[in-house]
Amino acid sequence: MTTPTTAPSAGTTTQGRVEIRGLSVGYGGAPVLELDELTIEAGEFLSVLGPSGCGKSTLLSVLAGFVTPTSGTVAIDGQDVTHVAPNRRETGLVFQSYALFPHMTVRRNLEYGLRTRRVPRDERAERVRDALRLVDLADYADRYPQQLSGGQQQRVAIARALVTRPRVLLLDEPLSNLDAKLRRQMRHELRELQREVGTTTVFVTHDQAEALALSDRVALLAHGDLEQLGTPEELYRTPRTRFAADFVGAANLLPVRDDADGGRSVLGRPVRLAADAGTVALRPEHVRVVEPGGDAAAATVLSVGFAGERYEYRLRTTDGTELLASPADGGRRFAEDESVGLTWSDDALLPLGAA
Amino acid sequence: MPATRTRDLRGHVAAIVPTAFVVVAFLLPLVGLLLLSLRPTDQMNNVLPGFTGAQYAEVFGTPYLWGSVVESLWLAVRVSVTCLVLAFPLAWYLARSTSGVGKSLVFVITLSPLLTSEVVRSFGWRVVMSGEGPVNVTLQALGLIDESLPLLRSPWTVFLAVVHVLLPFAVLALSASLGAIDDRLLQASADLGAGALRTFRSVVLPLATPGVVAATVIVFSLSMGVYVTPLLVGGANQSLAGLRIQTEAMVAFDQPRAAALSFVLLAVTLAVCGLIGLLGRFAERGRRA
Repeated sequence: MTTPTTAPSAGTTTQGRVEIRGLSVGYGGAPVLELDELTIEAGEFLSVLGPSGCGKSTLLSVLAGFVTPTSGTVAIDGQDVTHVAPNRRETGLVFQSYALFPHMTVRRNLEYGLRTRRVPRDERAERVRDALRLVDLADYADRYPQQLSGGQQQRVAIARALVTRPRVLLLDEPLSNLDAKLRRQMRHELRELQREVGTTTVFVTHDQAEALALSDRVALLAHGDLEQLGTPEELYRTPRTRFAADFVGAANLLPVRDDADGGRSVLGRPVRLAADAGTVALRPEHVRVVEPGGDAAAATVLSVGFAGERYEYRLRTTDGTELLASPADGGRRFAEDESVGLTWSDDALLPLGAA
Repeated sequence: MPATRTRDLRGHVAAIVPTAFVVVAFLLPLVGLLLLSLRPTDQMNNVLPGFTGAQYAEVFGTPYLWGSVVESLWLAVRVSVTCLVLAFPLAWYLARSTSGVGKSLVFVITLSPLLTSEVVRSFGWRVVMSGEGPVNVTLQALGLIDESLPLLRSPWTVFLAVVHVLLPFAVLALSASLGAIDDRLLQASADLGAGALRTFRSVVLPLATPGVVAATVIVFSLSMGVYVTPLLVGGANQSLAGLRIQTEAMVAFDQPRAAALSFVLLAVTLAVCGLIGLLGRFAERGRRA
């Protein structure tokens, strides 16, 4: 699979370029992760997205140095670190559980990585103060982790990683332990923070919304392989596989039929496709639910839910295909068991590979 | 809230039976012993009514008696330190190794001594260290010694045997504490640039402090009162408090004096255990500050 290896770099730093070549990781048995080539540019915010078991956490462990690959190399700024011990890698890892030292104050937690680097006392104090200010916790230096809320602990964990000025910041689902509202807020804060410090960041998540919202680029992993690599827009607008279409934003996967007259149709509606494909993906938000009749595909409402700005429908077409629709235009609310028509703009059909 | 209070009450009730057992089985005899230690005796060591501090004066005035407490203290300190040092790697392996086979092996080897009685294990030492035992035979076969060594009379043999008998307790107490340390804290430490030594000193040791204190207190108090092992390995004529108490009570038949010596031993043991606890708390807080 060919992958674009360059991406716009967000920050101003010129260090922290990560190059992964021919990587294969296995724990005795079959490899759990294989990456031919992945380059993370200096200052880039790369999300590694995938379902559990796709190898994304393994990738983070490899970058941090806790797992040695069976083959391949990892280089940071041109230096091969494949066999460099974790404590000499200068990576900054933020754990899902934060892993703050419970017996140390916030200040001592932050100082830890500076003491190991033998940073002089005065500079230490200054850098800790700056890092705490960066995450808005300047007044919490003398608290213990268990005296802080989840969101605050998370910010301490990020500050603890950043204060050492790591070459690469590694984030392991850092938002997953927060409640929904805080998570949205932290998403923005995290992005702004990363812009500010400009540290190359690898963000592991199973939440596609997080990945799309935060990243310069997203690496989608499935079953230990790189499924697709691209900007959030590319992944959303031009998914290359069924998996990519389905995982990044929901998608209805619909077969394309050849009609007798030589044309092609989806759900009985004639369509014109930009590319030849046996299957197209149609996002629920691009399905329009209208009164039956005309050239609309006939369908029945199985269930309907109210989702604030829009209704979410589960529908079954006359040929038995089930699909989701959450039309953006308000329209009226169709009831369960009601007969409706489905239309879409052909531009919204995303042709998928033969897969 | 009434519901909570009811539950609390039930909790109290459930604790009453074991508490009562402890009071009856431990505190009552102890009070009896305390009273006994304050009784005067006649020429024939018969217990007389009344109260006196003479028994304690006798204990502190006789090197034969107070010296045994000092010897016990010295033995207990050496045994505690040795057990801690030996138990740490074992407990670490038991608590954190991912190798099932290795773990089971270490578990069985270190903790199986608990399955046999102290008498059996100590008697085993007697056999091994005797004049014709495997140690002497081997040393002689290697030509290192001509005459067999009086190993059984050596205080070092007693020390080794007591360490062996008490090591499992230290391993158990420590491994609980070490097993509770989150792997990710160790990874975080490494990721922040710490080598193994710093991680041990700054993360493992402070978090294991409760376990270290527990292990030290258990091993220390058990070795202060150790009796069977030194008796079987080194004989009755050693200056150790446990043996002296037995001699005073059962050979000299001076029950009040034996009781007074018991209380001196108990007081010293409690004082040191309190000190260990304080040191532990200080260590935890010191590292926090």
